[in-house]
Amino acid sequence: MRLILRNLGFYLLAFWVSITLNFLLPRFMPGDPVSRMFARTQGGMQPEQLAQLEKLFGLDDRPLWEQYVTYVKSVFTGDLGISITRFPTPVSEVIGSQLGWTLLLGATALVVAAVVGNLLGIVAAWRRGGVFDSVFPPLLVFVGSFPYFWLAMGALYLFGVTLGWFPLRHAYDAGLTPGFNAEFLASAATHLVLPALTVVAVTVGSWMLGMRNTMIATAAEDYITMAQAKGLSPSRIMFRYAARNALLPSVTNFGIGLGFVVGGALLTEVVFAYPGIGFQLLAAVQGLDYPLMQGIFLTITATVLLANFLVDILYVRLDPRVRVR
Amino acid sequence: MAPSARSRWLRPTLIAITATAALVLSACSAGSGASAGDTSGNQLLTIPREDLATFTRNFNPLSPQAAPMTKEAVYEPLLVHSMADAKDTPWLATKWDQSQDGRSLTFTLREGVKWSDGKPLVAEDVVYTFELRKKVLGGLEYLDKVTAVDERTVTFSFTKPFSPALFEIGGQSIMPKHVWSAVEDPAKFTNPDPVATGPYTKVEKFQAQSYELHRNPGYWQPGKQQIAGIRMLAFSGNDSANLAFTNGEVDWTQSFIPDIEKSFVAKDKDHNHYWFPPAGAMINWQLNTTKAPFDDPAVRKALSMAVDRDQITKVAMSGYAEPADCTGLARTYDKWRDKDLAASCTWTKYDADAAAKALDAAGYQESGGKRKLKDGKDFTLDISVGSASSDWISVANIIKQNLAKVGITATVKTPDWAAVINSYEQGTFDTGIVWSNNGATPYEYFRDVMSSGMLKPVGEKATQNYHRYADKRADGLIEAFAAATDERGQREQVDALQELYDEVAPAVPLFTGPEFGAYTDARFTGWPSADNPYATLGNRNTSTILVLTSLKPVKD
Repeated sequence: MRLILRNLGFYLLAFWVSITLNFLLPRFMPGDPVSRMFARTQGGMQPEQLAQLEKLFGLDDRPLWEQYVTYVKSVFTGDLGISITRFPTPVSEVIGSQLGWTLLLGATALVVAAVVGNLLGIVAAWRRGGVFDSVFPPLLVFVGSFPYFWLAMGALYLFGVTLGWFPLRHAYDAGLTPGFNAEFLASAATHLVLPALTVVAVTVGSWMLGMRNTMIATAAEDYITMAQAKGLSPSRIMFRYAARNALLPSVTNFGIGLGFVVGGALLTEVVFAYPGIGFQLLAAVQGLDYPLMQGIFLTITATVLLANFLVDILYVRLDPRVRVR
Repeated sequence: MAPSARSRWLRPTLIAITATAALVLSACSAGSGASAGDTSGNQLLTIPREDLATFTRNFNPLSPQAAPMTKEAVYEPLLVHSMADAKDTPWLATKWDQSQDGRSLTFTLREGVKWSDGKPLVAEDVVYTFELRKKVLGGLEYLDKVTAVDERTVTFSFTKPFSPALFEIGGQSIMPKHVWSAVEDPAKFTNPDPVATGPYTKVEKFQAQSYELHRNPGYWQPGKQQIAGIRMLAFSGNDSANLAFTNGEVDWTQSFIPDIEKSFVAKDKDHNHYWFPPAGAMINWQLNTTKAPFDDPAVRKALSMAVDRDQITKVAMSGYAEPADCTGLARTYDKWRDKDLAASCTWTKYDADAAAKALDAAGYQESGGKRKLKDGKDFTLDISVGSASSDWISVANIIKQNLAKVGITATVKTPDWAAVINSYEQGTFDTGIVWSNNGATPYEYFRDVMSSGMLKPVGEKATQNYHRYADKRADGLIEAFAAATDERGQREQVDALQELYDEVAPAVPLFTGPEFGAYTDARFTGWPSADNPYATLGNRNTSTILVLTSLKPVKD
């Protein structure tokens, strides 16, 4: 328990540091939101409109420390303000409308990659030097080292355009209304396949390699020899004795990965026109939308810290050695 | 024991995977192609937005980020100005009159126009719209008072004679007073269910990735409301939007498509078309006139002569742009152009030898293959362009090659646009490829390129006239243009402005930018084209409403 409390203190400090950075970093960027907007339209806006927009947005020109105090207050009250690039929609609404899809895509890809990667790693390590072990790791590392953009585009053209197996864009067919009915769920599922698979394809290799290496180290332990001497079935030894102990680093990685899911998958969103936080964050940075940037960074920070905290607690349960220390 | 354990685990999984795959594949083949090829007569006009990855439900016409079509199909202006043929079409107003002294403007509203909630459009709505706009956005400094003379007549009085007001006032989306006066904070109101006069006001199936606009049942010109509705699709970039377009799944796009003949037209020659009229703004090579030697008109003209505009328009702009002449006017303003002056241009014609001679004569001699400044240093310059604009970067690179021929070393700098704009605004840049103002008349253009109206000293934020050039004579002509009450009076001033432009060369005009637009007429007909240029093929400008009210669905 004391361990958890000590960790909690550390997490609070980390949280404060990161929300402060979230506040400061955007403000070091050159320019201001209105001239960014003006520049993007390239002559489509009259110069007189600049002053009008500054008035409309009510841009904050108070001293930085006063803004900081208001900001810290807003972090705890959950009032994230109004987005500038999506004026006058509140930041919480902008994030809320995208977050579901980001979580669906990111979590699906993460879980599939982690489960498949770990299973492959276990099998490869168990049959070390076999055909499986010599083919899969190099192949997956090869696929994983492709530029993601290229791989996703290739998959889109092959499976979407040429073969027509999967839809080309969006999270579900245009014209459907989200709800728990078979038509919508089937549409959402088919739209998820290609984006998620491309992410899995480039990430599964590192899961497999990581698991394989820890497994090999674990397999050399005395208790494995002991188990074999007892005459236990190979699969029981593989999963219950070796894999369970080799799983710890993967749990850590899973926690970190889970935290970063909310940051969105920018390139996936761009290629498949999939709604999500990633592109929203890019747009916010390009448009110097301070409130939206802060909101998204805050969501990411909070989730990463929360995920890590949960992993810490899970560790206490999984690994008795942590409890003793 | 071991095999049975494995098969227990494997069998259900395999069955599940096979079942899922089958479901996925069947659902997919049923789903795709449902909208493409629909010619029932009720098909929706499908338009992609390549620049908006997601939509937010905001139909507030005062918001700069209102959902697409808010100002094009939902709300309507008093008059519609088309950049394609420079014509004004009476819209919510049937006519307008300028007073003799140019200090007031009177609009007569159309009879029988109703808001989508059934209430009639009255003069009070127009008065309220402008009150609200001034309160929320400010601006319109020249506007003194708006009065409703009677139910259908509105008079705008100005603090000074100001004829360009017609387009700013006439283009404003008119809002219903009975709705907006009840809104607590109109600036922050997202107006999810708009009450408006436009042809397509009913918002349906609004999602982050797509939404639909359906017919306004009480529209004032039902005969022009032939399409059943509009469907907007969100895309996070040109690539995915163009894929949907070349695949025949959307009807009308204005995103840039490389090699359009091959990648789009060739797929279906009968139905796939494009039209890129030169209706965009003049794109200039702006030289920072606060820095020597760019403060010398002779140098500006010589540099202009060194630039090969044909190569720029053909190679860098893929043949989609039109080279500029010494009037400085974009092709949009053809009816204002001084034809005699344009025929006798010298400094906008490519001639490297003449450019070298002109530089020699101005005191910038060449020695050892390098041209020298008056203080003996090498004549070098930077050209800044934002990294996102690949076509303009090619333009800058061609200029760089052209300048090498006259002994000048240019460096093309391509940081992020934000950094480039910042150097423009603060006046710290050397030279850059810059757009210009594209108003209904050349008023805004000439004001911003050579008068002191928008001039700011170096170090102070400028929004136009980045090159910081002003001429007293231009100020007088611009003011006289604004005060002129008829087109003949305005024309005199524009002629004089063109002559002045030719004399002082405030910037180096390069080309008129094209207005991109492409469509398929497999599902809808009646598009604007070179033969029938009633509007551009832009789907987010003032003439978009003309296209929406001209299209007819194909019906089998």
